[in-house]
Order: sequence, then structure tokens, then C-alpha cells
Amino acid sequence: MSLVAENKSAVTQNLLEQLQKNSSKIAFMPDTEIVSAIRILEDKGIPNNKHEDYKYCNIEAVLRKEFKTVEQSFNELTNADIAPLKIEEAINLVVVNGNYNEALSEKMIVKGLTVKSLNELSSSEKGLLSSQAKSDTDALIALNTAFTGNGLFLQVDKNNIIPMPLHVIYVNSGNSSNVTNTRNFVNIQASAEVTLIESFYNIGTAKVFSNFVSEKFVGENAKLTCYTFQNEGALSYSVNTNQVKISKYSNYTNNTFTLSGELVRNNHNVVLADSNCEAHLNGLFISNGTQSVDNHTLIDHQMPHCESNELYKGIAKDKSVGTFNGKIFVRKDAQKTNAYQSSKNILMSDDATINTKPQLEIYADDVKCSHGTSTGKIDTEALFYLKARGIGDESARKLLLQAFAQELIDKIEIPSLQERVLHLFEKAL
Amino acid sequence: MANEILEEHINKDYEWGFTTDIAADEAPKGLNEDIIRFISAKKNEPEWMLEFRLKAFRNWQNMVEPEWAHVSYTKPDFQDIIYYSAPKPKKELASLDEVDPELLKTFAKLGISIDEQKRLSGVQSNIAVDVVFDSVSVKTTFKETLAEKGIIFCSFSEAVQDHPELVKKYMGMAVPPTDNFYAALNSAVFTDGSFCYIPKGVRSPMELSTYFRINASGTGQFERTLIIADEDAFVSYLEGCTAPQRDENQLHAAVVEIITHKNAEVKYSTVQNWYPGDKEGKGGIFNFVTKRGICLEDNSKISWTQVETGSAVTWKYPSVILKGNNSVGEFYSVAVTNNYQQADTGTKMIHIGKNTRSTIISKGISAGFSNNSYRGLVQIKKGASNARNFSQCDSLLMGDKCGAHTFPYIEIKDRSAVVEHEATTSKIGEDQLFYCKQRGIDNEKAIGLIVNGYCKEVLNKLPMEFAVEAQKLLAISLEGSVG
Repeated sequence: MSLVAENKSAVTQNLLEQLQKNSSKIAFMPDTEIVSAIRILEDKGIPNNKHEDYKYCNIEAVLRKEFKTVEQSFNELTNADIAPLKIEEAINLVVVNGNYNEALSEKMIVKGLTVKSLNELSSSEKGLLSSQAKSDTDALIALNTAFTGNGLFLQVDKNNIIPMPLHVIYVNSGNSSNVTNTRNFVNIQASAEVTLIESFYNIGTAKVFSNFVSEKFVGENAKLTCYTFQNEGALSYSVNTNQVKISKYSNYTNNTFTLSGELVRNNHNVVLADSNCEAHLNGLFISNGTQSVDNHTLIDHQMPHCESNELYKGIAKDKSVGTFNGKIFVRKDAQKTNAYQSSKNILMSDDATINTKPQLEIYADDVKCSHGTSTGKIDTEALFYLKARGIGDESARKLLLQAFAQELIDKIEIPSLQERVLHLFEKAL
Repeated sequence: MANEILEEHINKDYEWGFTTDIAADEAPKGLNEDIIRFISAKKNEPEWMLEFRLKAFRNWQNMVEPEWAHVSYTKPDFQDIIYYSAPKPKKELASLDEVDPELLKTFAKLGISIDEQKRLSGVQSNIAVDVVFDSVSVKTTFKETLAEKGIIFCSFSEAVQDHPELVKKYMGMAVPPTDNFYAALNSAVFTDGSFCYIPKGVRSPMELSTYFRINASGTGQFERTLIIADEDAFVSYLEGCTAPQRDENQLHAAVVEIITHKNAEVKYSTVQNWYPGDKEGKGGIFNFVTKRGICLEDNSKISWTQVETGSAVTWKYPSVILKGNNSVGEFYSVAVTNNYQQADTGTKMIHIGKNTRSTIISKGISAGFSNNSYRGLVQIKKGASNARNFSQCDSLLMGDKCGAHTFPYIEIKDRSAVVEHEATTSKIGEDQLFYCKQRGIDNEKAIGLIVNGYCKEVLNKLPMEFAVEAQKLLAISLEGSVG
């Protein structure tokens, strides 16, 4: 027993040593926060498959195998590197290896919009950091807090509707094994509205473990629509934590599209902190090779008359592993809650695996909560129908898979993003 | 209104909470190799049985008590339990007349003496009962009638003496002694239980039944049931249980194993009504049970039906390993928790063979301050082509201080598998209640009606006699929990 315990901390200790070698002082994060984060990280250790929330996603094994040494050396990026990643309808902002890069970002003055790096925060704004994502809830949040980069702070002031979407490009560019800890804070004040696209890329030449934490706060009557677009390639292992808190009458939507990445773990944690608010989480992934995609959601209903909806779909090919673990938590006071969760998956190969774990934890009686999950193969009757009409086997299959995914792709309201997702999706088929 | 009815229900006592004054032959408290040797010697067991126990015990010592279940309780002190308690006098009983009259009265109170009486008066009944009192089998009825068909139905200790080859071959096949903490504990200290073997091509002419009762205080009950259905055999098996009302928590850690051969079918039904503790949550049974069946060969079928109304803490997952091709696994469950009861129950369906099918229907009802969780695993192994699973878990909440949870795990490694799972949580609909009341059915009865309708899918699977008992139990457990 004791031997196992020592090995467990060894991975964490090694990571801590490697990172401490290269880290510099983080000015915007209070020292006490950093110290406690390191302590929590040492206590809990990087999660492995013994950890209930990471049962199908062994982060410790990845770090042990792929990130023995972490050198933190990066390539410089130029405008030419970023240009193809931009979305023309949006204001493009760039975060490179965890640090906000003003030079590569588009400059535009929009009324009510504040964009700055975490280093530039005023002392009252600094207080917001770690107010949503708490180190003690997850060792990976603690890891991010302890070694966080100079990320992005986005704020939409009260009563402002931002007319065009914001597009944040998170790009890693390492040339040796790296660990990046990207962090941001998105503050949507009362009655404000914005659409936010977050894209994740790795254009480096070496393996990267990207540990991303985003804290989002949606004020009263405000609306935040998010798109998470993940196309990080085979060298990337990433954990993305979205810790969101939404207020009275507010509306939060996240649509996640995962198209590549050796390991992608998404933690979507949404706290419905006041009454009459809505949260919608949707996701689509297609995985191949030895990829592993794990969508983990936690919807915390704290107050009455709220609604949440989840729809996750996945297609697993080759030897890939797709996982959905969704939890709906309805607290005692959250009467009249309406919560729905659905996960649908298609297995394309006998070597692929789909794991689903939809969970309901309910402590209020006057609620309507349900979940449904189904996993299967392509409907043979539908396939026959198409083939009988002269469509070849392969194109018929593609057509059916596209139809399966279309429901989610249709949710994208930004044409060039939709095109990008559709193009990559078809390519992956 | 709601409060009134709730009050009434909360004041409702456990009906089976009496104790019986029977001198018991007990082992000293505590657990060590000597106690295990003592139990083994008491039961006059062969050497291999003792070895099995000791091996399990040594394994158990290195195991940690599991903590993953969604329940909280003070862990039992394993050194403070009496591991062997047998009612005295313990001699071979030839007829019912020789049974301690106190014991008979107990069974009369439990309402299970009818069959015995019928048997005595020469009236045929269709249930054979094995009664296990404080872990020791007291009396098995209809043994002779069954023997004519070649069916072996006896206490586990008798089986060890009379059919060692069968016990040796099958014991530990579905639940190995190293399986989990409580299964290992059971394997080390089990005192008795039931054994049932249905030979090739035989359909059991009657339902077989075991009745478990914990009587002595400070004891734990560790019984073991082993059911084997040979080729083309069929049996329907019933299990019932009660315990006296005590302030302490008593531990019940049983093991049930079912093995089916080619084309065989076993239907196992349980009405579990251990003492759930009082309305403050004091006392009650810890029910930590391992139940598992293996569809060993092709075309076999195992079906679990359970109605869970008792126990302070339940931790129970009747499972089926679908090894043979075309084999079928079923799990139908109604779990009711009230007051401070906690239940974490569900099933595991492991698909290994081709064209295997499984169905899971789970209905949870929570009231009072209780917590009721469904935890299930559906696993489709690689090569289990055309496997099919359908799961449905519904929860009904009564009152705003209880909780209902679902933790389904679904792991699929075969592309031809089709797996569906759905779960809902809700309360009794106002409109349903209104509809009943409009037709002159009072609140209480309307709730009973709706709950029974809600559980119908499961209750329908119970054998007739049990269905009646189960419906009565449901009504008692839930009387007026909602206004």
C-alpha cells in the first residue's frame, strides 16, 4: 500500500520540481492562494483512474509517461502563424502559451468592453480571481493556480451588448515537452450580452500538456454564449476547466466541438446560483487513432425555477475512447428545477470504447429531471434505405453520420466557424 | 395535511421488531483465526472448507472497507461482533413438532407458519421453505417431495456434509472469496445458508424459499446461498428477511451465488425487510450483500427481482455475468427508503457472450430524510457482438428532505452493441392525485395506488405470494408520505 502512495506523489512531486525550476513570480495572484494551491496539489496528487471523477481519464499516467521532463521552451509566433486561425466576423484575441499577447491581437475599441492581461488588473479585480474556480475542488485547478500564466481578463460592462463575437485563440507553441497553465476570467455584468468563441490550437513541435482554467461570471439578466473549438492535434494533451456561475434571469450556453487532440478532457462546471436562470451545454466529438475525449459536466442547481439542458454526441473510431460523465446536482432549495441530459454515441470500430456515466443527485422533490443515453452502431435499416437508392456504402455511412452530428453543428450561429467545424468533421469521417 | 399524514407515518413502528427468547449457542465476540476454526469445528466441516475460510480471512485482513457508496455510517467494529450464534437446542429435527415452540411462535408472528401448518394438515402448498435463524438453518420443509425429483434443497452445512463435490465445484465461482471486503468477510465466517441444486431437465415443482431472521443481539448474520441450475433446469427462488428492533446497528453480510448451465433459468426474488432503525435513524441493520449470478453456458437466464424496504444502510448490487451466448440477464428492483434510511443499490450486467441481452428496471422511492441511490454498471466486453441492454431507472421523491440519485456506468467495447439508458426523477403528479380524488379515492389510497402503479413493472415479476406481501409492505412503508 505505502509503495503505491509514494509512487502517486512521485509524479506530482516531479511535476512540481520541473515547474518550479522555470516559474517566475505571479504578481496578480496572492501568495497565500499560491501556497495553499501547492499544498492542495501535494495532498491530492494529480488525479488518476482511482479518482472517481477521472475514472476514465488517467491524467497521472499521461504525466508519468509523456511529461517526465518539462523544459518550458517555446517558439516565437508571428502574425503569419496566427492569421489562418482567425475568424473574420469576430474580434480576434491571442493567448500564446498561457500569456495574453497584445501584439498579435486585434485592437478595437468597443463601448463597454474591457480586454486586458491579468497582470494589469486593478486590486479590486484581482479579488475576482479564484472566486469561481477553487483549488480545493480539483488538483488540476490547484496546479493552474500555482503556476498560472498571464492570461486574459474580459469584461462586458452593465447594459452593453457587444455587436460582434469575441474570438480568443489559445495557442501553444512549444519545441520541447511543456506544461502550460492558461487562465482567464470572463466577467459579464448585469444585462450585458456577448458571444465568445474560444479556440484551442497547438502549433508547436513538441508534446504539450495544456491545463486550462476559465472562470466565468454571468450577472443578472445577462447572456453569455460560448463556443469551444478544439483542434489541438496529436501532440496535445489538454484539460479544460470551465467554472461558470450564473445569476438571476441570466442565460449561459456552451457548445463544444472536439475535432482532434490526443487527450481532451473538458470539465464544464456550471453553478446556477440564483432563480430563473438557464444553462445549456452541448458538445460534439469525433475521435480516431488512440485519442481519448472525455466530457465531464457538473450542473449545480442551487435555487428554484431554473432550467438546464445538455446534449452530447460522439463518434468513436479506430482505437479511440469517448467518455461522457454528466452530473446534475439539485440542491434542497432548487424546487421547480427542470433538468435534462442526453448523451448519444456511435461506435465505429470494435477497438473503440464508449464510456458514459450520467448522474443525477437530487435533494428537492418538486423537480423534473431526466437523463438518457444510448450507444449503438449505424442504423442498418437507414443504411439499406440509402443503398437501395444507389448511394455507395461509404457515402451512405458518411451521410448518416453527418445527419447524426448536424443537430449540433446547426447550433453554431457564426457562419465561418460553422464552416470550419463542418469541414474538419467531414475530414475526420 | 401533509404534515398530519407524515406524522402518522413517522410514528408507525416496525412491525417485526420483537425478539424471541431462545437460548443461543454463541461464539465469543471478536474475529481471529481461532474463531474461524471454532465455527468450522462447530459445524464439523471438512479440511478443505476450513482452508477456504482461512484463505478468505487472510485476504480480508489486507482489504480496506469500501467507501465509494453514497452512504454514510459509522463503520462496524469487526471485533465487537459475535460471529456464531445458533439457537439451542441444536439437534437434528425430524419433524416440526420437535422445533422449539418459541421459535414456532416467532415464525407465526412473522406470518410464515402457514405453509408449515398446511404441510402438517396434509394440504399441499407450493412453497418449500428453508428458515435461517441467526445464520443457522433451522428447518427445511418439503425436502422429501423435492428429493423425488432429484432436487437438492437443504441448509448449506448439510450440503457441505452430504454433497461436498457440488459445493467444492461451485462455491466461489460467481463471488470469489477475494471479490470485495464483505464477500471476503462472509467467506471467512459464514455460518449457514441455503443450498439448492436442480438436476438436468428438471423444473422445480414449487417455489423454493429462504427466510432469514437475525435474533440475538450483538451478532452479525453471515449466510451464504448457492443455487445451481443444471442443463434445461428451472427454479424460482424466494428470499425474505426480518430482524428485531434494537438500538445497535447489526451487520448482515451475505453472499448469494447463482450458476446456470445450458438452457437453464433461475428466477430469484427478494423481499428485504430488515429492521430499518427508528425514526431518528438509531439502530437498524447494515445490509452489505454480494449477489451475483453467472450464465455459464448458452441460452441460460438469470433474473433478479427485489423489493427493498428495510435496513438502515443497504449496499447491494445483484449482478449477472452473461458468459454463455444468447444468455439473458434481468434486474427488476423497487427500493423504498424512509426516515434516515440509506440505500445504494443497483446491478451489474457484464456481457461476454454473443447475442446476450439484459434489462434493468429500477424504481426508487425516497421519503423522510432518506437517501436512495441507483448505481449500476453495464459493460459490453470486446467480442460480445450484438449485445443489447436497456436500462430504466426512475426515482420518486416524497418530501423535500430526501434525496434520489443515479450513478450509472456504461462501458462499451463492441460496435455492434446497442445500449440504452434512461432515468427520470419526479414527484407524484398533482394531476394524478387530483384525478383519483375526483373519483372519490382519498389521499392515502390514491398515493398507494399511484406508487403501486409506478412499481407495477417490477411487482408483476414477483411470484404471487410475494407480490401481495410486497404491495402491503410498500403501503406500510409509504403510508401518507405525501400530502
